[in-house]
Amino acid sequence: MRVAVPTWTGRVSPVFDVAKRLLVVTLDGGGEISREEAAIEEGLLTARAKRVAQLGVDVLICGGISVPLEAMLVSAGVRVIPHTCGTVEEVIQAFASGRLTDQTFLMPGCCGRRRRFRGRHRGGRPGFNT
Amino acid sequence: MSESPEQHATDVILDSIADGVFTVDADWRITSFNRAAEQITGVSREEAIGQRCCDVFRASICESECALRETLDTGRPTVNKAIYILDSAGRRVPVSISAATLQDATGRVIGGVETFRDLSMVEELRKELEEKYTFADIVGRSPAMRQLFELLPQIADSNSTVLIEGASGTGKELFARALHSLSPRRDHRFVAINCGALPDTLLESELFGYKAGAFTDARHDKPGRLAIADGGTILLDEIGDVSPAMQSRLLRVLQERVFEPLGSVEPVEVDVRVVAATNRDLGKLVRKGTFRQDLFYRINVMRLKLPELRDRREDIPLLVDRFISKFNRLQSKDVAGVSDETMAILMEHDYPGNVRELENIVEHAFVLCRGGLIEPHHLPPAMRGGVDSKPGRARFPRTLKALEALHIADAIRRHGGNRTAAAKELGINPSTLFRKIKTLGIELPEREPPNQNQA
Repeated sequence: MRVAVPTWTGRVSPVFDVAKRLLVVTLDGGGEISREEAAIEEGLLTARAKRVAQLGVDVLICGGISVPLEAMLVSAGVRVIPHTCGTVEEVIQAFASGRLTDQTFLMPGCCGRRRRFRGRHRGGRPGFNT
Repeated sequence: MSESPEQHATDVILDSIADGVFTVDADWRITSFNRAAEQITGVSREEAIGQRCCDVFRASICESECALRETLDTGRPTVNKAIYILDSAGRRVPVSISAATLQDATGRVIGGVETFRDLSMVEELRKELEEKYTFADIVGRSPAMRQLFELLPQIADSNSTVLIEGASGTGKELFARALHSLSPRRDHRFVAINCGALPDTLLESELFGYKAGAFTDARHDKPGRLAIADGGTILLDEIGDVSPAMQSRLLRVLQERVFEPLGSVEPVEVDVRVVAATNRDLGKLVRKGTFRQDLFYRINVMRLKLPELRDRREDIPLLVDRFISKFNRLQSKDVAGVSDETMAILMEHDYPGNVRELENIVEHAFVLCRGGLIEPHHLPPAMRGGVDSKPGRARFPRTLKALEALHIADAIRRHGGNRTAAAKELGINPSTLFRKIKTLGIELPEREPPNQNQA
């Protein structure tokens, strides 16, 4: 499965709407197989969502994301895990081992509504249960 | 933790102002966060203190040109920069920010202070004035709306003519504007013209414009809406109401992208993306012979069908929320929401006027409600009262059986009384459907009820 995290100075980018760099990691059975960095230049939300989908991303772990952009990504079949903060490496590790729900990775002010793991194709997807 | 009197006084002062204020130390961690900052961002002081400011503030410039960073680097304060932040609900909040450095007694920079003002009211007013709506202004999570959201970007990208079909008040113009704002033409004009409201002669002159002297009182050249929309998008609203003569002229425009202003023989070329809207069933009009088939096919290249509000009831709470925020801002009120009982009434109403009707209902309630929650007695008279004006419509169902009955009735109504089609949509056998109609006691109209489309 391909997991993407927008990065900024080694941490999860705080606002995905304007993030410039995306780290895409391919995971299999809890281990990392490969990773690549992609630049996202698109400003228009629809183009941004398209780009993420085109990169073959299954799960996007991000910080703040505006509601329309999240909806577009979900419509495109990408599972979105918002309100995440922390260093990129720790976040990927936590996701791979199912610990991403820990308080430490939650952006301040977002625990009122527990992260909604939204994605259309959750049903048949093999692999991780976070 | 004991505070000096001066510190306490400062805190009280900071908490009494309307702008958000926070301070950070040299590591970008928040050291203070006033009450207004809590309200605007949706993050409490306890949660904010000690966190990295970008994780709390979530501003559009955090990554690229953080105002604090620039100010701390250059020593120059930032004043009134307009940006947006994401609040804890994922909403964009427009704010204007200012930043300055904090120095100790020796003049050494020990941190920064940032103040920000909520510009939502200003934005709301601007939107009302300029009618520049975007994708984000369309509200809905129902399956019907999700499907539309999926289509929107692709349709927006292309140059093809679009037909938006939907009953009155379903937001056809809003969708047309959203399409425009998502398209490559968004930097050019969006022009709307209501074809149903004007007689041919006026429609012609509005659409195509005229040259000086074309008729009595035509003193100057006047560009038509088509010319004004050059490079952009034009919305031809209520296209189903257009006369046959006008239909031929429109057909020519669509086919050849040229027209002649009144009183001129020089053809004018125009590069416009056409969006047509109607609340009629154009296919039916073509069959009846009142709408040209060739024009129909020119328009019907891409089709967006907007659902009626009663077919997307789950969006009602979201829409109510949106309207409450909007009117709160425009009227400087502080209505907190609707009571459970009011929501139940709102959920069961039929909404022949769709979203526009719902907006009017909320606006009406705003006049009567001073603050707090909207109660049933704030609603328009026609909606309250224990005795329902509609026979056969129960109170919003809570039991599974009642919900099932409502769902089945809705499906049958959507298919014009056709039980077989309804059964197919519901995914059950027609005989099962008939059995349920009997056991649940569902009252139904006869097959093919009279067409309810109003002009």
